[in-house]
Amino acid sequence: MIDGAREHLLAFADDEHMMGQGHTEWIGVAPFLEEDLAFCSIAQDELGHAAALYELIAADEALDADALAFRPPHDYRSCHLVELPCDDWADALARHWLYDTAERHRWAALGGSSDPGVAAIVERAEREESYHRRHAETLAARLLDAPSDGADRLLGAIERLLPYADALWEPVAGEPQTVDAGVVTDASADLRDRWRADVVAFLRRPVDWDALDRPSQAGRTIRSEHFAAIHDRITEVIRIDPAATW
Amino acid sequence: MRTYEVFLKKEGKEEFRHAGSFEAADDELAIVLARETYVRRAEGDQLWLVDRSNVVTVEADFVAPNADKPHRHNDGSLVAERRRAQRDGSPAAT
Repeated sequence: MIDGAREHLLAFADDEHMMGQGHTEWIGVAPFLEEDLAFCSIAQDELGHAAALYELIAADEALDADALAFRPPHDYRSCHLVELPCDDWADALARHWLYDTAERHRWAALGGSSDPGVAAIVERAEREESYHRRHAETLAARLLDAPSDGADRLLGAIERLLPYADALWEPVAGEPQTVDAGVVTDASADLRDRWRADVVAFLRRPVDWDALDRPSQAGRTIRSEHFAAIHDRITEVIRIDPAATW
Repeated sequence: MRTYEVFLKKEGKEEFRHAGSFEAADDELAIVLARETYVRRAEGDQLWLVDRSNVVTVEADFVAPNADKPHRHNDGSLVAERRRAQRDGSPAAT
């Protein structure tokens, strides 16, 4: 696997990992029971996608997938959107919608991958993602349907998170080579444009993309201020017992 | 909010069975939420959601009167006794 491909898949795996972990924060405290179940199913799916991607890279390097999933903080390549704490349901739903709308294009760009291992995990992921999108879009559309406190809160959250979501498309090192090699079939900038069109179509209003105050991620090499706490939490078990299995 | 009654059917000859009920704002939300609540472990292959307002409810007074007709309840004991008697060669008790 070329360096750029490793970086690309690792960044996607880290996003899925952080997103899944973030969603699990809502287990038991989602707004109502059925939503609790739906949201934790989505969390499990995202963690499953992370595991599949980590395993793909790990197999290539004769490593254990956990060694990648729980590596030192500075080695992660997650975007800052997935590292944000979303303690308010409006934030959690806004991020879920923005992120899963983006995922559609990210998986599509891997569907025709020249790496057979990559192509093999796309079908299942896309099937699961179609539920994630239907869930996010249904909830969000219903809330935005008519003027209400819920609509205001969701729109406020989308506006706050939009710069972070747009920065998700910041490419990692070596992307041109990864695209040339056909590991991913589209450049991040092209996927970003498709995603932006989706966002505008759903919100039914224009967005001034150039005016967004995006976080500095330096090709996803800089962790946000929230990452240390997440890393502490997710590595708690493996630090106590490096041989633990679960 | 609407109340939805949930019915599940397994593959094969089994009929749809009532699995529970829950509230949702509309049909599409009900569909999205029912899947992970009722079939997350593949409990069924088919899923019906019935808006409770569409259920025809029969008044209890109209349903109840047939409870006092024991002659409609056959536990098979009379037939069993006749068969036993025939097998034993003795005349059946009347």
